[in-house]
Amino acid sequence: MGKTVLIVDDSNTMRKIVSRALRQAGIDFDTILEAGDGQEALTVLGANKVDVVLSDINMPNMTGLEFLKAKAEDAAIKDIPVVMISTETGADIIDEAKSYGAKGAIKKPFTPELINETLGALL
Amino acid sequence: MDHAQHIIESTQEIFSSMIMLDVTPGEPFKRNNEALTNSISGIIGMAGATKGLLAIHLPEKSALAVTTAFLGMDVDSIDEDVRDAVGELANMLGGSLKAVLDPNGSEIQLSMPSAIHGEEYSVDCLAGAKTITVPFQFDDHSFTVELQLRQED
Repeated sequence: MGKTVLIVDDSNTMRKIVSRALRQAGIDFDTILEAGDGQEALTVLGANKVDVVLSDINMPNMTGLEFLKAKAEDAAIKDIPVVMISTETGADIIDEAKSYGAKGAIKKPFTPELINETLGALL
Repeated sequence: MDHAQHIIESTQEIFSSMIMLDVTPGEPFKRNNEALTNSISGIIGMAGATKGLLAIHLPEKSALAVTTAFLGMDVDSIDEDVRDAVGELANMLGGSLKAVLDPNGSEIQLSMPSAIHGEEYSVDCLAGAKTITVPFQFDDHSFTVELQLRQED
């Protein structure tokens, strides 16, 4: 059965690129949902059954790290796995993201193979 | 490795993996604040231990070709998709340079990317900054990537 992924990125272009890379990676997602920042992502998670989240870090309104913190405090959605997908992949930032529950990180630029490898372990 | 080489490697990696375009670097040079014409620039600022900016400057036709390849759909005018794509290119280039300058990721903060487009505009150099610009070519198109860095004392 297909699954649902939520892509969180303030760039419409990058959301399209990530969607394309997911298809190229051969991962069977029935539904690809999108959000433009962390706040929108919380709203989408509250209204949909989502299997995994791919989230940028640097975003306006609510960053990826703020999104992780808010999500961790909501019992209904706190267990949904999140993978950061960002240009920001310094050890300090990734450690902070993992301390808030992130399950991994993918650096931009990325390849479909890297997405498959990272998400394959979570699905 | 010098910054020009970092720019070359980062740009080639981003274009080959995300846009499926092979870009060829030219000889790095120092830009002298001359105006950019009929172009679009994606810019990302750096603050913290190292201040500066990273910019990618594309003539309009090059920006359309890059965005068409980036999105996999025809784009024939400078619209929101092009501005967003060029900003995202600057974002990825800034992230790649930050990974070199600040491996732990906590000493340099990157701004949100922005894009400037116009018939004639300037992107001036920061006072006291060291600058390097690398030209690139693909097919019949060209663009430049510029780095300005000012190390704090």
